[in-house]
Amino acid sequence: MEYKVEAHRIMSISLGKIYNSRVQRGGIKLHKNLLVSLVLRSARQVYLSDYYSGACLNAAQSEREGNEWDITDSEREKFPPSTTECDRIESSEEPQQNERPEKEREYRENDDEVKSDQADCTSTLQQEQKQNSSLDSVAKVSSETPPETIDEPKESPSVSTVAESDSSPEADGESHQPPKTHVCSNRKRSAEKTESGDLPQKRTKVASSNAKEDEEAEEMDTSNVSNLITIFGSSFSGLLSKDGAKPESEAEDSGQICCDQMLKNLNPWSTAIVAF
Amino acid sequence: MGEDGESPKINHSFLRDYVTEADVISTVEFNQTGDLLATGDKGGRVVIFQRETESKGEPEELGESGEYNVYSTFQSHEPDFDYLKSLEIEEKINKIRWLPQQNAAHFLLSTNDKTIKLWKVSERDKRPEGYNLKDEEGRIKDISTVTSLRVPVLKPTDLMVEVRPRRIFANGHTYHVNSISVNSDGETYLSADDLRINMWHLDITDRSFNIVDIKPANMEDLTEVITAAEFHPQHCHLFVYSSSKGTLRLCDMRESALCDKHSKIFEEPEDPGNRSFFSEIISSVSDVKFSHSGRYLLTRDYLTVKVWDLNMEKGPVETYQVHEYLRSKLCSLYENDCIFDKFECVWNSTDSVIMTGAYNSFFRMFDRETGRGVTLEAWRESSKPRAVLRTRRVYTGGRRRRGDVGVDSLDFTKKILHMAWHPAENIIAIAATNNLYIFQDRVNAENL
Repeated sequence: MEYKVEAHRIMSISLGKIYNSRVQRGGIKLHKNLLVSLVLRSARQVYLSDYYSGACLNAAQSEREGNEWDITDSEREKFPPSTTECDRIESSEEPQQNERPEKEREYRENDDEVKSDQADCTSTLQQEQKQNSSLDSVAKVSSETPPETIDEPKESPSVSTVAESDSSPEADGESHQPPKTHVCSNRKRSAEKTESGDLPQKRTKVASSNAKEDEEAEEMDTSNVSNLITIFGSSFSGLLSKDGAKPESEAEDSGQICCDQMLKNLNPWSTAIVAF
Repeated sequence: MGEDGESPKINHSFLRDYVTEADVISTVEFNQTGDLLATGDKGGRVVIFQRETESKGEPEELGESGEYNVYSTFQSHEPDFDYLKSLEIEEKINKIRWLPQQNAAHFLLSTNDKTIKLWKVSERDKRPEGYNLKDEEGRIKDISTVTSLRVPVLKPTDLMVEVRPRRIFANGHTYHVNSISVNSDGETYLSADDLRINMWHLDITDRSFNIVDIKPANMEDLTEVITAAEFHPQHCHLFVYSSSKGTLRLCDMRESALCDKHSKIFEEPEDPGNRSFFSEIISSVSDVKFSHSGRYLLTRDYLTVKVWDLNMEKGPVETYQVHEYLRSKLCSLYENDCIFDKFECVWNSTDSVIMTGAYNSFFRMFDRETGRGVTLEAWRESSKPRAVLRTRRVYTGGRRRRGDVGVDSLDFTKKILHMAWHPAENIIAIAATNNLYIFQDRVNAENL
């Protein structure tokens, strides 16, 4: 569990650094942002892998959230309405992994296990996980190459905000009973191999130093965040309307405040967030 | 100093510690003879020091080294603004490199993030006196007072150092320039930014050759950037560049015009046992230097310095731990941004000793023959002129000696990033924030 807290903290710090780099004198430093994005990606991997292995989810709340995932209409039909949020998130990321039906079985089994464990649930925890996954989805939706994302059967976990689903299913698999672990661990290994073999695709969405690209990439982040906030205000139905929307530069300022809010939501019990 | 114990003393020590950002030294470089030492700072200024010879014209006795005094100061770069991208361009001097001396004047290249400038440093110690039409103050004389003609003569005058910009190499780089290196041919030099390396001719400012371009077609595929580059000291066709992934690439310009394909790649496989969130950051090479012989390469990453043999690509021949005790503190160092610090490394004149900086005003020297390292401190209060530097130690376990510093009491704001070693003698220049320390090795003093 402590890895998760650590990973989470590192993610928040990394996000803070990326935002701060935009207002730094001398322009955005490509090297530093590249390194920060690498750390962010690693932390997200660990965070999401821990999420699926140790998460405890409130079924009712997740069901409510699940109903609002419009983009996963087709997938949702596969799952019974009482499935947990874990399932919802998986299903929302299913569009990318059309060739992995085995995972669905695992997720359902995981849900069954998880449902029984209510001891350490906190609503903030779920909220944060929901936010994380929704950040994924928001990023995917507003990503410049959604078709690519969906078609790719086996993506390397790339930029923090995009398509982290690869790692989660594998890690999710690992947390299961032994009969399934060998399948999942194989997948995780192969995913890691893919990761090391291929060039991660969207690694430096936030790290390109060409100022215009950078501005766009980071505006995309801020727009994601601001989208996030408006969405939570107005439920996920707002998600679809953000499809392909290009960020505007005035989103930057609201991006700062929104990031602040998001981080506060993510980490209400900790004083670690000092990014702003 | 008598102090009145009754009245409360206002503690002004914080003023002494306060450093103007613009005064922070950002680069240090000796020229080829070692007589001149140039420093650049964050405010865009260059200060040149000259070594005073005890008695000009007479051979210096061993151990009677001259001191370095300020020779000239000038403003090299000003803050600039890129209007197209709405970006401010910092005036901080990233690197200074001297050109080999060809006449009485000295030339140096200085660069900030975007623009490289060639400066001519010349002395004037004579001036003409005895004009017919002008008086001593330069006022035109009344013709009627001129009764005879005379030839003006050159009279010695106070030494005046003039620094003029001779070339400005602008608009060559989209990304931030991190290195410049003068070629051994004396005519060309390279400048490297995060993704590209350009080769310039010293006389031509409106054109440059791009010799390395690692920018991917899709910026989202970017995985590594160039962190440093240098020409080989003897072979004018060879140069090396380091990357953020910890690899070194040796390129031969004779092979092709664009040297994207390396001739040799030097990399060490990662130790899987040391894997952490920050493995990639700490493997990024912050500096690369050829040895004077041209046979070896010296690289610095966050925790180590490594010596590579140009003939062996599969790994370094020597690895020295600079501050391994920081490995468990990488997370805090990430938080306070110290993990991104770019330390430089230098060879001594005979390539037998290597030196690099650390935190808490410490710097480390490693003797390649014995493999031993020593920690020294560049701190005003413990260094009096002519005092022998004592070695320091960071306490990491075992028996604690007096004077050992604990890892948690290291001051991470006092970092030694920039340094230079005299090309011929054991004189080192260490930049500690806004202070420059020059240490000289006396003949009697223990040489490591």
